Amino acid sequence: MKKNVWLKKLKKSGWDKMSNIYDIVIIGGGPAGLSAGIYGGRAKLKTAILEKGTVGGMAATTREMVNYPGFKTSTGPELTKAMADHAREFGTEINKDEVKDIDLNGEIKVIKTKKGKEYQTRAIIIAVGSQPRLLNIPGEKEFRGDGVSYCATCDAECYEGLHVVVVGNGDAAIEEAMFITKYASKVTIIVIHDEGTLDCNKLSAEKAFKNDKIEFIWKSVVTEIKGENAVTGVTIKNLKTGIIQELQTDGVFIYVGMVPETGFLKGKVEMDERGYLSCNGLMETSVSGVYAAGDVRTKYLRQVSTAVGDGATAAVAAERYIAEQESFRNYVLNSDKPILMAFWDPVVQESLDLLSVLEKTVADHGDAVNLIKIDMSRTKMIAQKYNVSKVPTVLYLQGKDEFTVFDDENCIAKLDAFLKRNI
Amino acid sequence: MKLKSLNAITFEEEIYDNGQPCLVVFSRKNCHVCAEVVPMLEEAAENYIDSFGFFYVDVEDESDLFKRFSLRGVPQILFFNNGEYQGKLGGLLEEERVVEKIEEVRMG
Repeated sequence: MKKNVWLKKLKKSGWDKMSNIYDIVIIGGGPAGLSAGIYGGRAKLKTAILEKGTVGGMAATTREMVNYPGFKTSTGPELTKAMADHAREFGTEINKDEVKDIDLNGEIKVIKTKKGKEYQTRAIIIAVGSQPRLLNIPGEKEFRGDGVSYCATCDAECYEGLHVVVVGNGDAAIEEAMFITKYASKVTIIVIHDEGTLDCNKLSAEKAFKNDKIEFIWKSVVTEIKGENAVTGVTIKNLKTGIIQELQTDGVFIYVGMVPETGFLKGKVEMDERGYLSCNGLMETSVSGVYAAGDVRTKYLRQVSTAVGDGATAAVAAERYIAEQESFRNYVLNSDKPILMAFWDPVVQESLDLLSVLEKTVADHGDAVNLIKIDMSRTKMIAQKYNVSKVPTVLYLQGKDEFTVFDDENCIAKLDAFLKRNI
Repeated sequence: MKLKSLNAITFEEEIYDNGQPCLVVFSRKNCHVCAEVVPMLEEAAENYIDSFGFFYVDVEDESDLFKRFSLRGVPQILFFNNGEYQGKLGGLLEEERVVEKIEEVRMG
């Protein structure tokens, strides 16, 4: 056979691509993704982080960081840059690109990006975070950039000496409102709650109440943003009295919570009604080999300090998952003898008893089969693959996807007879 | 392709004297939305070498330019043709929206 024919055959088999398979691809380069990148790189796994915008994510836009352990005062850009450098030092790639299409079926998962690259990977960690939620009121989209803003750091300076409305009352809303008072002559905060109630932390609330440039309008919502070329005012509705009033303003800053950026995963990964990914303590999502970390998952507290923990857990869980798959391939799928798989659990005495009986049975049949013991308390991937939920269970593997199950009380006797017939 | 940075003087030259159809993105270093929009423009610029100008203004370095157009925040993309203002796009944008506007400006 000519050399180029050989090459073509090899390429057709996907051999050239196989060598480029990643162990972990992390989608999102905020603190959760960067932390996962540090753990992945440190474990010598071929790891890439895909980030479509700023490395450091939402945290990189935080001016002041005062509760990240070990750093009494830091800034978002400083802290996240250190994390990114740390990940790169361990060999993790950080690539500026955006996911266009994602295929999570199969052991090798495929990500296609906007820049036209294709990533094949054994595991994926989703750390895409969340985006500011829109109010979805008239004028909001129209005046975005012309008086409607979601980023005080970016835009507050433009309001030197002007009146600004802030919508919302969480940490972000109140802290950003105070930042805006550095420039604006007056900041009016529209709060949905009764007078005196703010969702933000107590310290920020106290500071805001003392700030004489800040005024509050309680029990109210903004129903429309008005203007011609730029914002000139808002319509405010009092929820208690129903009274509608117009308020003149030059800008509206909106901080009404966040929404996860999981639209591209709809129908592929389980999520809650708001789009956050549900996962267990190992950060496993509903798809094996796919993990979630940081703000994108259903969780109690969304902070940098909790995001980095998620990232570490997800990366280590992914590392173990990859190792399990590897050993499964080596011992089971490439075995020269038929395979007997015994699923056991150290806390189930019955399964321990069965193991010793099995060993004897296998010896009785002249070791013509390979006995593989699978500890269900440590690995779930193989059990899921064969749909095993009960311990003990024994499987006899004829081919890659063909197997016989023995899981009732008489399983040893049945297995014995089965082996006699087949070997 | 890196976008060409403009200051008050080169702005006059490029926009009003040369007068080719072009866009100018007003941006600042620490704005995360800008960090998404600017790379998108850098990529789009590859398709318009010689046929459409792509320029960049840092609003911190060039605050006078920023004030002159009384802009309320960044990023803002301003479009010009023959030195005449052709409208703007603000905030987070899809590439398709920008390309649409570029074509509109080019067609006159």
